[in-house]
Amino acid sequence: MGARDPHHPLDFLTNPDRFMAFSRWAAPMFGAIAAVLAVIGLAMAFAVPEDYQQGDTVRMMFIHVPAAVISMFVYLCLGAASFLALIFRHALADAAAVACAPLGAAFTVLALATGSLWGKPMWGTWWVWDARLTSVLVLLLFYLGYLALRSALEDEQKAARAAAILALVGLINLPIIKFSVEWWNSLHQGSSTLFAKPENRLPAVYAWPMLVMFLAYLSAFGSLWLVRIRALVWRRKARALALQQAEG
Amino acid sequence: MPFDFDAGKYAVYVWPAFAITLAAFVWMIADSLASARRWRREAERLQALKEARKP
Repeated sequence: MGARDPHHPLDFLTNPDRFMAFSRWAAPMFGAIAAVLAVIGLAMAFAVPEDYQQGDTVRMMFIHVPAAVISMFVYLCLGAASFLALIFRHALADAAAVACAPLGAAFTVLALATGSLWGKPMWGTWWVWDARLTSVLVLLLFYLGYLALRSALEDEQKAARAAAILALVGLINLPIIKFSVEWWNSLHQGSSTLFAKPENRLPAVYAWPMLVMFLAYLSAFGSLWLVRIRALVWRRKARALALQQAEG
Repeated sequence: MPFDFDAGKYAVYVWPAFAITLAAFVWMIADSLASARRWRREAERLQALKEARKP
């Protein structure tokens, strides 16, 4: 293997010092973008007309759908980071995976809770064991299982490897969530966003606030992910220093 | 831009959904910042201790 090129364009993602320099300005920048987009998105969400069938509950769509999409996106990031950590044993990739899990769990809880609050007035029930809802609950269990496995084993390397394998196994749940409403009969509606059939797509008056709120959630995740990876880099440094002092 | 904050008979579902979302974001932000601050301070403390012990 050749020496790593320090001027590689992705070096800021693999070199801890460069990552810390990059994330120092990137994390607050993404946070500020998220805050601005959230204000605009919420203003748009309360300015749209109520839906002719769903009435004012349509406003829950602007917080429920982005939470659901981001909960899957975060798991994709968790899987990709776990793969890189497992194959290349890269410390930053492992930190990126660990940092994903609590955020992904929070977004999944949000998707389930807001979906339940939307389901009661529209479906007449808080919960139903249909494919979409159950597969999202399984997603939450994968996040919680990942976190439990990381903290259950004392040997950090063994914990990282076991949790990474669990994360990779859990990737199979993502297409199940996505296509559950097509593969099985479900109370949950099918896709009505960007990739839906034209006749099923949301009208522009609802699609724009949804897009803005989605970008707000995405920016918020980006900011918080970087902050949590930074915390793990500091923790690693603190533990290395503590070990040096104990030895010396 | 006229805002419609009157959710009518659905208010009992709409507002808790927004409240839960707000609470989740407050937790995510607070926990992430607290964790980063805690470990940065610990690393800086240990680094300063190391510097002070240098002959």
